[in-house]
Amino acid sequence: MKNLRIVSLLFLILLVLILPFFFRSNQYGMILLTTILLYGVLATAWNIIGGMAGQLDLAAGAYLGLGAFTTGTLLLRFNLTPWIGIFVGGLVAVLFAILVGLPLFRFKVKEVWYALSSSALVEVLRIAFIMWEKIGGPVERYLPNYGSALYMRFSSYIPYYYIMVILLFASLFVNYWISRSKLGYYLIALGDDEDAAEVLGVNVRSSKLKALVIYAFIVGLTGGVYACIYGFIHPNFFSSPLSTEVAILGIVGGMGITYGPLVGAVLLVSMRELLRANLGGQLESLYLVIYSVVLILIVLFRPRGITTLLQDTFNKLFSRWVRNNHAE
Amino acid sequence: MKRIGIGKLIVLATTLVLVLTSCAAPQQTQTPTQTASPSATPTGKKLPDKIVVGCLEPLTGAHAIFGTEAKVGMEIAVKHINEAGGIQSLGGIPLELVSEDAGETADSAKLGAESIISKHHPVAILGLYISRMTVAASEVTEREKVILVADALVDSVTAMGRQYLFRPAPKASQHGVTAVEFVVQTATKAGQPVQKVAILNEDSSFGRSNAVGALQAALDNQLTVVYQKEYPYDIADVSSIVSEISAAKPDFVVHCPYFMDAILFAKTFREFNQIPKFIVGMGACGYTDPESIKALGDTANYYANTYSYNPAKNTAQNKKFVEDFKTKVGHIPTEAAGMNYYAMWVLKEALELSGKLFPDDPLNPDNLRQAFLKLDLTSGPAVDTYPTNHIAFTPTGDNPYARAVVMQVQNGEPKVVWPFDSAEAEPVYPRPDATY
Repeated sequence: MKNLRIVSLLFLILLVLILPFFFRSNQYGMILLTTILLYGVLATAWNIIGGMAGQLDLAAGAYLGLGAFTTGTLLLRFNLTPWIGIFVGGLVAVLFAILVGLPLFRFKVKEVWYALSSSALVEVLRIAFIMWEKIGGPVERYLPNYGSALYMRFSSYIPYYYIMVILLFASLFVNYWISRSKLGYYLIALGDDEDAAEVLGVNVRSSKLKALVIYAFIVGLTGGVYACIYGFIHPNFFSSPLSTEVAILGIVGGMGITYGPLVGAVLLVSMRELLRANLGGQLESLYLVIYSVVLILIVLFRPRGITTLLQDTFNKLFSRWVRNNHAE
Repeated sequence: MKRIGIGKLIVLATTLVLVLTSCAAPQQTQTPTQTASPSATPTGKKLPDKIVVGCLEPLTGAHAIFGTEAKVGMEIAVKHINEAGGIQSLGGIPLELVSEDAGETADSAKLGAESIISKHHPVAILGLYISRMTVAASEVTEREKVILVADALVDSVTAMGRQYLFRPAPKASQHGVTAVEFVVQTATKAGQPVQKVAILNEDSSFGRSNAVGALQAALDNQLTVVYQKEYPYDIADVSSIVSEISAAKPDFVVHCPYFMDAILFAKTFREFNQIPKFIVGMGACGYTDPESIKALGDTANYYANTYSYNPAKNTAQNKKFVEDFKTKVGHIPTEAAGMNYYAMWVLKEALELSGKLFPDDPLNPDNLRQAFLKLDLTSGPAVDTYPTNHIAFTPTGDNPYARAVVMQVQNGEPKVVWPFDSAEAEPVYPRPDATY
């Protein structure tokens, strides 16, 4: 059984590594894969605060924007390579998360109030960066050195794909590691019933802050890569729609399931893009209607997430195979 | 927390590959030179039976109101070009328009650009309207050497050093200049010269570019800027700004609004009964669009706005376009539609020139780029629908002869009032309802 798992894991890694060869010179295929992975990373990171700790966080755009602006500004002002800048961006996002997390958790802001507060942060930062002319301002700031690997400004999406693969595996590993650690049990407990967990001795404030910090770091890091992919920084990177979408991917994929948000990102982002590319030019808004109907159906019939539907289907299809593995 | 079932994960990953492969696989792999051809170059190289042009506009989301009209403008232009015999220097090859929705974000714009190029291999793409989306998509068009005829007006779009990007329409700062010069000339003509101006703009890069142009023109005309404000485009209450403007007592207000904010400002000016002598919008998005007039009713009267297209230009080609657009949409062409109508004709002229200059390989992107740079149009359908009578391109991709016109709402109808020599009505100046 153990050998099978190792072989399977190696097969999975190999599959992800060779995926770009399926697309070869198809840049559209590569940016689509990269975009899906990007949302997969964001949603997987969100799973720590949203899925495990049960906090409906709507501030992914805030941390992503901070990461993007830190990386972009360090490149523009100090010619610092984004290979270092993205980590500084992650740390800036962490600092901000601590600044907002401390009072929010100290004053027990939770549930819908936490969602509203986190959502407001994104808009506050967007406006602040529009007004902060030295760093932001209303005009786009282009990132130079297109085509340079040193400045993470690749002319092909394949390197971005592999960067996203690394970030994705790191996010999945962190999720998995937390879920098996004491912190994970605390988060799941307080996610189920915060008051009960506190009575039982869980340090709610500290646990939530740790989850927020880890989530912010991953999203901030991803924000730096995001800026390099799109080639500019702008206060609109502090995006409320993006923040909501990340939470939707996490919820629809399956909250609390390690790979649930990734499955949500793979299915929903690819479906939306498939509809946009094929219907968007002719029937303008129809693809968004179809996308919304699918989301509603999933929420109505699979409130625990689409991953549970896939799990059930696979369980039926491969029941014999699974039984044989258990018998080994 | 459920643990990963590795077997399930493998199946999921395989599903991922299948989903993505079906999703991302190009649906059409023909390149222009691979298609069966009715004509050929002098050296025998086959030409395609259709020249594919991409329309990549925001057809959904906050900017869809502009993108959908831009698309209609392109469709009518392609119809007119094909009816007139297609690209004659290439044996009459017709144009074919393919459309995709660019959404409203940088990632959807970049995905759209990759997708439309991968599927259709267009010789040129028109669109994107929004500057940040143009920035993202133009990295793709540059890499793939596809001509991008942009309708985003922010000045910096042509300052990125893009080689294959051209913008026929006047840039945003020119709108700012036009707005100020129009009022200065109109006021002087009316015997009431102006000295004090208030400059307002929403906080996007477009609003800023317009305001910079207006500020420069104010300085050039030795006006005093008594009030200047940049506000969030989604502002919900403008009463304090209206009061501050009233306290500053400018002779006129130059304003770059978006859409809803224009309506809000106009209603608040009226509600507070603090109406300046004149209010002119810059950048076309605000006061004189059909949707704005519908939303404002009588309040829209006397508001003016710069426009990158002149719907009143007295040429047969323009009248034909206006009529066809009215039949299809129900109102006169908006700026987005007009800009893309003449942009398509500019592309047609470039293709014609490329066919003459580079008969062996007219659709080669470098040859087509050279043709764009060599264009010097002073007549023809493109000029007949253009705000000025001269179209050429600098190496940065802008037309140095571009200029906006000014429209004013009179009796509920938008009328072209400037430049005076091509106006369809006299500007009403000052506003009859001005309170200071």
